[in-house]
Amino acid sequence: MPNEILSRGVTRRAVLGGMAGVAALSVAGRVSAAAGGEAPALAQLVKDGKLPPLAERLPKKPMVVKPFEKVGTYGGSLRRGLRGSSDHNGILRMVGNQSLVRWNLEFTAVEPNLAERWEVSDDATQFTFHLIEGVRWSDGHPFTADDVVFAIEDCVKNTELYSSTPAQLAVAGKPVTVEKIDDHTVKFTFAAANALYLENLATPLGQHPTLFPKHYCSQFLPKYNPNIEADAKKAGVTSWTELFRSRCGDIEIPSRWGNVDKPTLDPWVVKEPYAGGATRVVMARNPYFWQVDTEGNQLPYIDEINFGISQDVESLMLNVISGKIDIQERHISVLANKPTLSKNMEKGDYRLLTLVPSASQQCQIYFNITHKDPAMRKMFADKSFRQALSIGINRPELIDIVYFGQSEPYQAGPRPTHPWYHEKYARQFTEFDADKAGAMLDQAGYKKGGDGFRLRPDGQKVFFSIDVIPTLYPDLVDALELVKTHWAQIGIDMKVNTIERALYYTRGDDNAHDAQVWPGPGGLDPMLDPRDFFAFHPQGSRYAIPWTLWYTSNGARGEEPPESQKKRMKLFDEARSTADLDKRGAVMKQIFDIAAEEFETVGLCLAVGGFGIIRNNLRNVPEKQPDSWSWPNPGPALPQQFTFTS
Amino acid sequence: MLVFIAKRFLWMIPSLFAVSFLAFVLIQLPPGDYVTTYIATLAASNEIVDQNTAAQLRERFGLGDPLLVQYFKWIWGILSRGDFGISFEWQQPVSDLIWERMALTLVLALSTLIATWAIALPIGVYSAVRKYSIGDYFFTAFTFFGLAVPSFLLALVLMYVAAVEFGQDVGGLFSPEYENASWSFAKMIDLFSHLWLPVIILAVSSTASLIRVMRANMLDELPKPYVTTARAKGLSEFRLLMKYPMMIALNPFISTIAWLLPNLISGSVVVAIVLNLPTAAPLLLQALMAQDMYLAGAFVLLICALTLIGSLISDILLALVDPRIRLE
Repeated sequence: MPNEILSRGVTRRAVLGGMAGVAALSVAGRVSAAAGGEAPALAQLVKDGKLPPLAERLPKKPMVVKPFEKVGTYGGSLRRGLRGSSDHNGILRMVGNQSLVRWNLEFTAVEPNLAERWEVSDDATQFTFHLIEGVRWSDGHPFTADDVVFAIEDCVKNTELYSSTPAQLAVAGKPVTVEKIDDHTVKFTFAAANALYLENLATPLGQHPTLFPKHYCSQFLPKYNPNIEADAKKAGVTSWTELFRSRCGDIEIPSRWGNVDKPTLDPWVVKEPYAGGATRVVMARNPYFWQVDTEGNQLPYIDEINFGISQDVESLMLNVISGKIDIQERHISVLANKPTLSKNMEKGDYRLLTLVPSASQQCQIYFNITHKDPAMRKMFADKSFRQALSIGINRPELIDIVYFGQSEPYQAGPRPTHPWYHEKYARQFTEFDADKAGAMLDQAGYKKGGDGFRLRPDGQKVFFSIDVIPTLYPDLVDALELVKTHWAQIGIDMKVNTIERALYYTRGDDNAHDAQVWPGPGGLDPMLDPRDFFAFHPQGSRYAIPWTLWYTSNGARGEEPPESQKKRMKLFDEARSTADLDKRGAVMKQIFDIAAEEFETVGLCLAVGGFGIIRNNLRNVPEKQPDSWSWPNPGPALPQQFTFTS
Repeated sequence: MLVFIAKRFLWMIPSLFAVSFLAFVLIQLPPGDYVTTYIATLAASNEIVDQNTAAQLRERFGLGDPLLVQYFKWIWGILSRGDFGISFEWQQPVSDLIWERMALTLVLALSTLIATWAIALPIGVYSAVRKYSIGDYFFTAFTFFGLAVPSFLLALVLMYVAAVEFGQDVGGLFSPEYENASWSFAKMIDLFSHLWLPVIILAVSSTASLIRVMRANMLDELPKPYVTTARAKGLSEFRLLMKYPMMIALNPFISTIAWLLPNLISGSVVVAIVLNLPTAAPLLLQALMAQDMYLAGAFVLLICALTLIGSLISDILLALVDPRIRLE
């Protein structure tokens, strides 16, 4: 098993932010900016009188970032690849992680970012953030408490713009209230306890408070601009909301990176936008960026980021191995590429980047326990049937053939390195025993018919299909083909149903699937994505979509789940509002106990880490990084302090 | 002639309507819609879209309307204001996205056409006149090889060799410095310095069949009495070939001009994707996969319009070139 301790030798503590209730200070000290330098190009602009001097562009006490290896040098253009379609998050992961708080490198605690410190009330309903004084937007306009209030109160809570408040900003069905205490202090008040708010704020979906500059975006709101409808017509869009979105964007839409005029707080700002038909995206340094290194030099070190857009992963790989990409893991990280990447290390002049998976399970099989067909439902809901199928899988063989021996048999739950690791939940029914599986099936009433395949008690042959998306997870197709042969030996006939992505989702939404597979999350971030532990996620907990609908709509839609599910839902809500770490762990353990008892999902093996590359002349890059949407790599590794050596 | 052209133009209108409607229906046929695809794409990187956002998006894009309503809104926008609608994915007017790509596609198509003809015509005539000679066998074998190798494979191999062995910049149609520059003479030169690779790759696969067609047609014409007569009258061999047999043998070339564009777009999708060409094909494929229907619809509509115009052009040219064809 690969050692999962991160590069600085820090053993993982749970991902949970023990900061709640404690006012935290920035880890590195503060220095006055007077000592620091700036990029030569900016210095030239200052000399020509086109830009204010550095001291006026930086906060009085800028945030100090400790470079990962050493203080860097200015200059260079970092090359990275994007896909041509829907890859806006490829940009977000690189530059757009400037929220009020951020994750530390180890993905274990929340650190200050645009908020230099904060206080949390004892009941976890009130969060008071103290913003760094003197931060400026990329156009030089001051960033203050007004911007945060505007972003939430005027934009996010505007029902025409957001028909419902984003999940993160609403608790107990009521949206958060944000008020200005003074120019640099804002208070967030929730209707009920929201103990996970800081961790959520550090994830990409926590960027709303710092996303909309008031002085720019207010011109697209009817409240501030009475002629907005006329402006929208002039711009050729149908409504003011369209105009707002195309000019100010949102966290996860391409137009966020499509407007060069929108001020941001990111280290680099858009110079050549991400638009339909673009063949590249170029981002240039933000002259007002508010972080410095330990010697007071303004970050970022690197002048610009150049994202080439490839239509095809193979041509991206070609660029990587011929040394035309400086850092890349997105799109090329699958295990199948590792031999090619390793072989060309010298030619491409790069080293490998190891991704520590945050997922728990490489291939979770979700039998549809709430199947529309009563006979199928009865079969899948039979726990001994699922257990028999689980021990009928020869996992060691599968791991050797499909995953090059790089994994271990696993079911679900936090990864072995996580303090909440739950032995029974993770390892039960992973021992291969075909005879015992057959005996269990016989006992459950699934007797073999004449052709060696088993029959249901109603006389029909046992047959079901498992949906998988080959374009997305080719390895899961291989894994399922092997599982098919293992199950044939115990008399179970299964079809590997390879389907297109949208169809996979539509089938799930309509509850029309027998079974589907997906990598099971929650290995390092069990609080952020508990979809496998109970019916939590309407597109993710695929063993019981109707139950998830019941849960997310407070009983208005879907189908009422059994008691064991309701209990877990209650427990999770309790865990979410528990600020104390040990208490929260104890509550989660109860959830894992019940989930282990119920055995709803069948897993194959522990999620396998991916790979990326870093060019040898690019320094200050951690060579081991978590790989998660919650820790949107490489952003939290702080690309603003990456630097080129000649 | 003018009457004929006017009539043909009138016929184009209902054809375009029919085609645009069909295209619209086809794009809508797969399960799910743009929002489903969008969520699926995000979920691929383990990102979660909350239910509210999905419902909001559907409402915003008018995806709840019946198909006919959506179609008429779209067509009416095009007819009344030249407005092709908004691309869901990019939140930009479709018309901003299509024109440059269509222009580059036409440049690529015409260059490929010229290259194909420039290779195929002389070789076809030569193979006919010098039937069963060493040269005939050589060219035939060579072009058949070109026909047999899939173009995307050829593209990948050439790219690999250029990138890994020679460290050249491959892919795309422009050098980085011209990529987003406005049009200038220097940019044109830059375009043509990149254009040769995709043109060769696409031409190689289509020359073989044209050579065979040309050769067969010439072989049909050469033994005819008028050729013998002309030869007896003492015409030089070259003029004799050019004057009649060549003109008649050209007929299939000209009548297939109309298919050229759809063929090139559908036939070059993979090549364009592999070579990262900023032409219509990759964007169309992407729009279809994302069910970004106004964008895809606009491309399909334009390609159909160009096909209809192409077939009109080929009819007019045939009338001019082939003495056997009359418009009545």
